[in-house]
Amino acid sequence: MSVYQRVVDWIDLRLGVRDILEQNLTHYLLPRNINVWYTLGAVLLTLFGIQFITGILLLVYYVPDTGQAFDSVQQIMNEIPFGWLIRYLHVVGSNLIVIALLLHMLSVLFMAAYKTPRELTWVSGFLLLNLTLGLCLTGYLLPWSQLSFWATTVATDAAGAVPVIGDDIVRFLRGGAMVNEATLGRFFALHVMGMPLLFGLLVGVHLFCVRRAGISRPPFGDGYVPRGPRYTFEHEHHYGGIPFFPNYAVKDAAVISFFLVLLAAIVFFWPTLFMPPAGFEPADPFTTPEHIKPEWYFLWAYQTLRIFPDKFLGLAVQVAAMTFLALLPFIDRSRERRPARRPLFLICFVAGIGVFVALSIWGHYA
Amino acid sequence: MSDPSKSPPKRRAFLVTLLSGLAGLFAAAVLYPLWRFLSPRKGTGEQEKVRLERASVPLGGAHFFNFRGGPAVVVQPQAGSFIALSAVCTHLGCVVKWQEENDEFFCPCHAGRFSPRGEVLGGPPPQPLPELNVEVEGDQILIG
Repeated sequence: MSVYQRVVDWIDLRLGVRDILEQNLTHYLLPRNINVWYTLGAVLLTLFGIQFITGILLLVYYVPDTGQAFDSVQQIMNEIPFGWLIRYLHVVGSNLIVIALLLHMLSVLFMAAYKTPRELTWVSGFLLLNLTLGLCLTGYLLPWSQLSFWATTVATDAAGAVPVIGDDIVRFLRGGAMVNEATLGRFFALHVMGMPLLFGLLVGVHLFCVRRAGISRPPFGDGYVPRGPRYTFEHEHHYGGIPFFPNYAVKDAAVISFFLVLLAAIVFFWPTLFMPPAGFEPADPFTTPEHIKPEWYFLWAYQTLRIFPDKFLGLAVQVAAMTFLALLPFIDRSRERRPARRPLFLICFVAGIGVFVALSIWGHYA
Repeated sequence: MSDPSKSPPKRRAFLVTLLSGLAGLFAAAVLYPLWRFLSPRKGTGEQEKVRLERASVPLGGAHFFNFRGGPAVVVQPQAGSFIALSAVCTHLGCVVKWQEENDEFFCPCHAGRFSPRGEVLGGPPPQPLPELNVEVEGDQILIG
């Protein structure tokens, strides 16, 4: 008997790990018509893992002080061996995460996987999307560049549109009247500790929901029939399906590899793709750079604020759109999941993507 | 052509070897930058000498200073004679104190004692304090 087998036997005797692995890997059956879009969860877990590791590594040299933050980032980029690689992986990775999150959300929407009994999975996922955007926003300030400073100024200023208490919210977010040392301190604390802790907790809730309810069957093919109403909890089994390991794990690995190659390609060949020139100048609170724009995934919100003459109205439209998305499973209550039989949904789906893209492009060139 | 039913073990072994090799390469590609990133940096001036004012070291007294990232001390036991030593106790790495009244170095952690030349006088230190090269240039002392 090999040493490896003896070690596994020893652990198995105490913890029954073989049973756990069988239940969750080889005997965990997935629908036969499962498609590539279901791999995005694994892709996101991988990308978040990279963010977590590169984030800890950056903390080794980063100094969260307005007088030293920019220089410490420059030191990471220019003096620390492979510092540029760690930082660009973190920067580019955050953008790829937003792309993967949007694709994940769109696929769940298209296949109506948010419907009963998966409302909690959807809501926890939607909260994770917002928390990710919060992580992006707070992380944006940390290099203390012109881009960091003014993008944060514009982003926090948007909260001022809330009637009566708007100015107080802005002061609270910034820790003062303007973006300053206090803003850096609170954004740093949120970015490296507060939000990641909450994020980890929410990922746990999300995965628990996914595993407990069971993977939703893709609503395609002749054999698909919408499930009837249920009055007691029931895990969705897929008898006769394919095992998660090795069949689907290989597909997961392939798509994860694709994203890793994409990440490496951008980091090595176009590292400044997501970093305008203002990101390489130290913050100057007395000089606003021209044409300062938020990151691409906030452009739709930025342009919405510009379209409406009243800032509050612009903010209200954004809040309404996000609330609608968050509560979608409770609004769209029909049991039909097949896209071809949901024409109204399909029109809204395509129009929604169109509006998002159009506003983003408009915001970019405006 | 051999029986396809006999080939899988060989094929499997080949694939396992290939994938293990690729995994090893990938791990090396990840671990090497990580190791370099976290390795202590060669600080600027690691080979540089430290220049002190001669007047900063009183006769019978000691002057502590930073030498290439670590604490060091220079003493003047007799007029015009300077001795420079590492101030890190060779027992467990605490920084020694100069006791002018006893004319010796004392480590407050475990009562190690050293002479002005760095020799062990008592206590647990296993080795003397490493001596540093000293040159006197006019009113300045050059150490290192």
